Amino acid sequence: MEELIQREDHQKLYVQLLDIIKKKIETREWDVGFQIPTEEDLCKTYGVSRATVRSAIAELVREGYLFRQQGKGTFVKQVVSDKLVMLTNFRELMLEPGVEFSTEVRVQTTMMPIGTIGNLLNISLDKHIIYIKRITVVEGKPVIIQEIHIPLHIGPDLLHENVTVNSLFGLFKKYKIEITRVRNYFGITFLSAEEARAFNLTEGSPTLLLNQLFFLGETPIMYIRSVKRHDSFGFAIEFKKSSMDERRFYVKR
Amino acid sequence: MSDKKIKDVMVGIFEYPHIPYWFSLDQAMRIIKVSFISTKKYPEPLAMLVFDEKYNLLGTLTLRDILRGLEPRFMRTPTEKAQVVEEDETALSLVWDSLFAKESRDLAKKQVSEVMTPAKFFVEPTDPLTKAAYMMIHNNLILLPVLENKKKFVGLVRMIEIFDELSEAILKE
Repeated sequence: MEELIQREDHQKLYVQLLDIIKKKIETREWDVGFQIPTEEDLCKTYGVSRATVRSAIAELVREGYLFRQQGKGTFVKQVVSDKLVMLTNFRELMLEPGVEFSTEVRVQTTMMPIGTIGNLLNISLDKHIIYIKRITVVEGKPVIIQEIHIPLHIGPDLLHENVTVNSLFGLFKKYKIEITRVRNYFGITFLSAEEARAFNLTEGSPTLLLNQLFFLGETPIMYIRSVKRHDSFGFAIEFKKSSMDERRFYVKR
Repeated sequence: MSDKKIKDVMVGIFEYPHIPYWFSLDQAMRIIKVSFISTKKYPEPLAMLVFDEKYNLLGTLTLRDILRGLEPRFMRTPTEKAQVVEEDETALSLVWDSLFAKESRDLAKKQVSEVMTPAKFFVEPTDPLTKAAYMMIHNNLILLPVLENKKKFVGLVRMIEIFDELSEAILKE
């Protein structure tokens, strides 16, 4: 049976619709390459306006779940890895081994969860989160933009920690917050105006996307969205399933 | 007058939603709704704290600031105001109503930093309550940040608590 939108729920309608679609993708009800129903059909099925459907689809494209093909429709994107336990930290994941890099912390503040963040972190929208934005620079060139969201109650002191030199994983350890599971989504997305400015590239350029949701038991404790410029650097991933089959991907232009 | 100091009546900073200066007015409105209106929590004043990238307080944003931000541009400057035939307030409000759908929706996209009340005035935790009252009266404020050693943002003092304490002191005499 189709899951229905709860109108009395205070959560925005598009966030509810987005969750419903996300669930269909994650459970493979809508598998990779599946063409999702048209905007009109989604409006009818869920009894929502076209604007609501558009917002949900746009966000899912932004998060790398869906892609649009001009004149054809919207499709479920290939997800390289799902529900794998990651053994490496993000830099090892997104940079070639041995690359020298530096980190610039552009933002480290608190805010209220907006868009889908509250839902991803499973917190009520009136709870504060820590928001950190870091840029990894290699040979003077910005290579990765990371946006980190952590519910404030998980570790309020993280707000004042130096995240330029300390790894987040190291800091979590210091505060005895144990990450037990990481869910990764890899995909391609398109640079927003702000990201394009940081990379000195054109808005809308394709870029590598990594969305990571970190859990402590069943509780999501951190969401990281990373985009990596596509034009000059490689992409290295090493991860391990809960069993011991290790895989390594390495792609270099 | 009691010996109470600012630190005895101030409230924690997380009583109020925090937002960065680049949030838009419509995002701010949504947060006000979620944090206060839908939960039926109405602390006086309904406000948000606006911070910069490094978590320094830049200002406060009240319902009044937001509404002012939605007011059409011509209603704000005297030269443009002259274009309106009737200048009495009721007529102006009717003009706003006719422009609301178009202009105010666009205005809701602007950043909160454009309409917030900049945080220019502070009190210290050890200051007397009358200092906060003085600053509120003379600067038309209902919320004042409390800074420790002029630097660390440790709390907020509101007009309601200041009023309560000062009125208590007078009424019991």
